[in-house]
Formats: sequence, structure tokens, C-alpha cells
Amino acid sequence: MNGATPKLKEFARRLLAHNAAWDKPAGTKDPENFPVCEKLREPLSKLTGVGGFRSLLSRALALSGEEISWLRALHIKADGSLEGLEKLEMKSEPRDIAEGEVVLVAQLLGLLVTFIGPALTAGLLHDIWPKMSDLDF
Amino acid sequence: MKKKMTKTGKPSKKVASPHKVKIHQLPTGVRGLDEILGGGLPEFSFNIVAGAPGCGKTTLAHQIIFANATAQKPVLYFTVLGEPALKMLRYQQQYSFFDPAKLGKAIRFINLSDAVLGKDLSGILEEITKEVEASNPSIVVVDSFRTVARKAQGNNTEMELQTFIQNLALFLASWHATTFLIGEYTDAEMRDNPAFTVADGLFWLTQNVERNSVVRKLQIIKLRGQGSVPGLHTIRITGDGLQAFSRTLGLVGKKLNSNRRRLLSIGMPELDKMMGGGILEGDSVLVAGPSGTGKSTLATQFLTEGLRRGESGIAAIFEERPEGYTARAASFGLDLSTPQRTGKLEMIYLRPLDLSVDETMQEILDAVKRLNAKRLVIDSLVGFEMALAPGFREDFRESLYRMIAALTGAGVTILTTVEIEDNFTSMQFSHYAISFLTDDIIRLRYVEIEGQLRKVMVVIKMRGGNHSKDIREYIINHKGMAVIGPRHTEYARLTTGLPERIGQTKEAAPEPKAKSVEA
Repeated sequence: MNGATPKLKEFARRLLAHNAAWDKPAGTKDPENFPVCEKLREPLSKLTGVGGFRSLLSRALALSGEEISWLRALHIKADGSLEGLEKLEMKSEPRDIAEGEVVLVAQLLGLLVTFIGPALTAGLLHDIWPKMSDLDF
Repeated sequence: MKKKMTKTGKPSKKVASPHKVKIHQLPTGVRGLDEILGGGLPEFSFNIVAGAPGCGKTTLAHQIIFANATAQKPVLYFTVLGEPALKMLRYQQQYSFFDPAKLGKAIRFINLSDAVLGKDLSGILEEITKEVEASNPSIVVVDSFRTVARKAQGNNTEMELQTFIQNLALFLASWHATTFLIGEYTDAEMRDNPAFTVADGLFWLTQNVERNSVVRKLQIIKLRGQGSVPGLHTIRITGDGLQAFSRTLGLVGKKLNSNRRRLLSIGMPELDKMMGGGILEGDSVLVAGPSGTGKSTLATQFLTEGLRRGESGIAAIFEERPEGYTARAASFGLDLSTPQRTGKLEMIYLRPLDLSVDETMQEILDAVKRLNAKRLVIDSLVGFEMALAPGFREDFRESLYRMIAALTGAGVTILTTVEIEDNFTSMQFSHYAISFLTDDIIRLRYVEIEGQLRKVMVVIKMRGGNHSKDIREYIINHKGMAVIGPRHTEYARLTTGLPERIGQTKEAAPEPKAKSVEA
């Protein structure tokens, strides 16, 4: 079941841009790999437990790997963070890496929407990114 | 004026006694439960919600938190290795009380599974302490606490668990939190469980299958600081969540002033006369008779007469659908459609086969309040009993007693029908031996006279006054039921259904006899 609709992907793209704009001064390098995934990790782990978050992320990774094959090379660590991006970054264009995150985030949000519905998912995102407007997906 | 003296002979000084602590109560958000608890949930209390799976424990906890959580007084809901939070939210949002806007700021879900898996009880307490200190919640829920309690290990299990619970209760009370520990427990576990000893409140939920019906019940086993209603109370889970029906529902209420009670017309002048002018307001009347004797017609006439006089009415029907009931009334020229449209009459049709009397009573009491109804028809007791879950049928008489007391106490005049089989040796009033519950009894029955199965009625009892002792023949025509003619004096033993002629027949038969066929 692929929950990453074009609308969700578009939303994920906006979310990445919003996060980048509010997180660091323009032009500086992002200190984290897949920063939106990383930001989702803590609140989602609090809600579902680390195990719960890892389950969701592994499913999202599997689904997004069907679209962007290099994502299959990523692994989820015990704490729910991603590993393996550093190696990929050396081989890939930053634009491709960013698109990979868009697809992964869209799949992750798609799973949340499937489980708890758009209203609760939007509420959850609002708590993490309170300045993000238009949480319509 | 004489001064009050002490034993020493000196006048006593009035010493102001210190005020008792006032225990504030929180609403449960569960209809009927606040009354059962004696007003609501005691603030800062430490409670256990226990029961087998599927009883509604989590739903109850959710109703409580959604009724109380605000951004200023948030709720912390710890989930522990039980129902995953995502699934819990998925299902709970289907209930009408679920407000998604409260999640995040007012209600915070925190998964404790990792702490439970990785730490001992003191580590778990530390984790809870950290979150409580950070949020300063007004309500804390641990779901399921049973899983946390299993963490107690080693030789000193009981002491370790007791200490943990004691510390948790003390800490949460100190932080002004009202606490609910949710757990799947069986009756046998209640005795020696340290959590149950420490708890201020113990809510026990059960779910029993009786034949094909499921009956859910709630018992407040203990509740410190206030008087709750003892016993088992029926609960039902619907799209609005839990609803509780106190087993004393309706017993406390206003009573009619007996000096100011009117006589209500039943809509049949002759029957009114037989009843000494009509039914005394607030009475419970039982109309008993076999099938086809016109019990429902009489009940409908009672209702329509009230409507004609501007009195709202309710018909709780169990054997026929409202459309059919209305159509049948129309065939007698009795209009039930218009008053239903104008809100003067409400038909309550209940037939789910697992009802409790309390639910029915609540439904009727709500309708009485809505319409300010003066007249109620329950048609019929047999259908009512059939609609109940088997377990409730055992308590039917007791439940009826409460229901009738509640409704007549609210000023409603009740006419109840009951079908009984005629036998031709005696005359019974009801299968249920409930005549002690009714103020007045009207008995309808068939009698065989001159080759016709005719109908007679008699007023058996009227608690409020004198009544006619006559046995009167009646017919049902296109205008409904009509009591006809004077009493039969030329027959004896009419009550057996097989009367003996003791005099000359002076009257024509009320309805034409079939003509004899010429040879």
C-alpha cells in the first residue's frame, strides 16, 4: 500500500523547505542527515515508543525504496535514527538526496494518515513545526 | 435568654471548629457516572480502573481525560506495552467525545514501553517523575499498569511493588494529579494486590455473555471520601462512549403533591365513570387482557385524549413499529401522526434484545423531560421483557418497581398493557405478579354469550378511590373502544368466561349475529 500521494509528496517538499528555512541560516550546510525525519523521530518515539517509530520508519523506507532504489541502502539504528547516508552523499547529488527525503517523509506521513487520520497527523506536525501553515494533505 | 453552661458551671464559649477539607470533584464525561460516584471524581485521588479485555477501560479513561484536559491543566497518558498508541488513537477518535484539537497540548501521550523493558521499577518511577515535573499535569493515566507491575522481580516482589505504588501515589498526589491506573485483572487478583490497597478508588468493569446477549456492568468497589452508589450498574458503549445507568436511577426525584392531583380522562366517558371520574394523575394503570381485546386501542385512546387536552405523551412500544402503531390508531380515527410532527408525542421503539430496564428508563425519562410529558403508555410488558437481555429478565419485577416509581414520581401517569392468556376457570391479572406495583387495574376478557365471543371489562382495583364493580360489555369499532350498555344482570360467573344465564335476555347483542342459513 503506497500512501505517498502526489499531494503528500508536495507537502513533504514544502515541509523540508520550511524546516530548512527555520532551522538554520540560509546557505549553511545542514548539520543532520534527513533533518525532517530526525525531527519526527523524538515526538513519534515518545508517542509510539522507539520500537513503534522504528517499525513505521522501516515500512516507510521499504515503500520509498520501491521508488528510489538507493534508499534501500539505508539502515535504521536502535534509537530510530538513519545510518548510511554519509556514504551515499559522496556518490549522489544533493538534489537527489533531498528528493529521497521527500519520498521517505511522504511515505512516513502517509502511514500516519492511514493509522490516525489527517487531523491527528496535522496536529502532530503542528506541534513540531508550529509556524508551518497550510497543513493540508 | 438562658446561657448554655459547661460542666464546670461557666458559660461555654463558641469555638469555631476548623473547616473540613473540601474535596473538589472532576466530571467523568460519562453520562450517569457522576451520579453513581456521588458527584464526580475526587480530585487528586489515586484510582484503578480494572476489568477483563473489552470491558471499556480505555474508553472510560479517554472520556475522563477529554472531559477535563486543557492546555493549562494537561493530561499525561502513559501507554505501556499494551494497545499501541497509534492504534488507540485510530480507534478512540471514532467516539464523539474525542477532540483532536486537544492532542498535543492538552493531552500528551507518552510511550513508557522502552522504560519498562529497560529499567526496574525505580527507573520507571524516575521516568514518570521526569515527565510529570515537566508538564505539571492535572490527570495522569497509566495504561496498562498491569504491565508495569509485572516488572517487580526477585524475592522481594511484593515489597518492591508496594513501595513503587506507594511512592507513585504519593508523588502524583503531591503534584496535584488525579491518577488512573488501567489494568486487566480478574476478581481473584483483587484480594492481595498492593495496588488495590493503596488506591482511593476502584472501578471494576465486567462483561458477561448471557445466552446470546452481552451485558456490561460497572461496580465502584471503593471510593474514599464520598458516598458512591453501591451495587452493579449497567453500562453501554455506543458511538458516544460509555453511558452508565445507576441501579437507583429515578428513585430520587420530585414527588407529586398528592393533594393537587387531577383526574385524567381515559377518553371513554363510560370507563371514566367506572373509574370514579378518571385516572388519578401520577397513577400507574395496568390494562390486562388476552390478544385482540383492545389493550393497545385503549392505550392509544388514553394518549390521544391527553393530546386533545394539550398534554404531551410518550408511547414506549415493543411489539409493533411506530409506523404500524400509528397506522392502526388511524384506522380507529385516532391521530398519532400530527402530534408526532408537532413534538407533542414521541414514540420510543426499543427492540435490541439486550436492553436493561435502566436504559429503557433513561430513554423514557429523557423523553419525559424533553416533552414535559404527562402521559406514558408502555405497550406491552411482555414485549418489554422480551427486549431485555436474559440476565435482566430475572430482575424484571424489581426493575419495574424502580421504573414505575421513577416515572410516577416525575408526575407522569402511566398506562401499561400486559397480555395474558384467558383460561376459562379463573381470571388472572398478569403473569408477573406485579399488581402491587400498579395503582389501578383494568381487566379485559372474552366471554362466551349466546354463541358469540364477546368482550367485557372490569375495574379490578383503584388505589386512589372508589370505582364501579360492574362488569361491562364493550365493543371495538371504527371509532375505537366503546363501553356499551349497563352491566349484564342476567348472567352469573362472567369472570370465568363461561357465564350462566340466570335471567331473561332483555338486550340485543351489541354486534349483529350471523344470520341462520335457510335450509
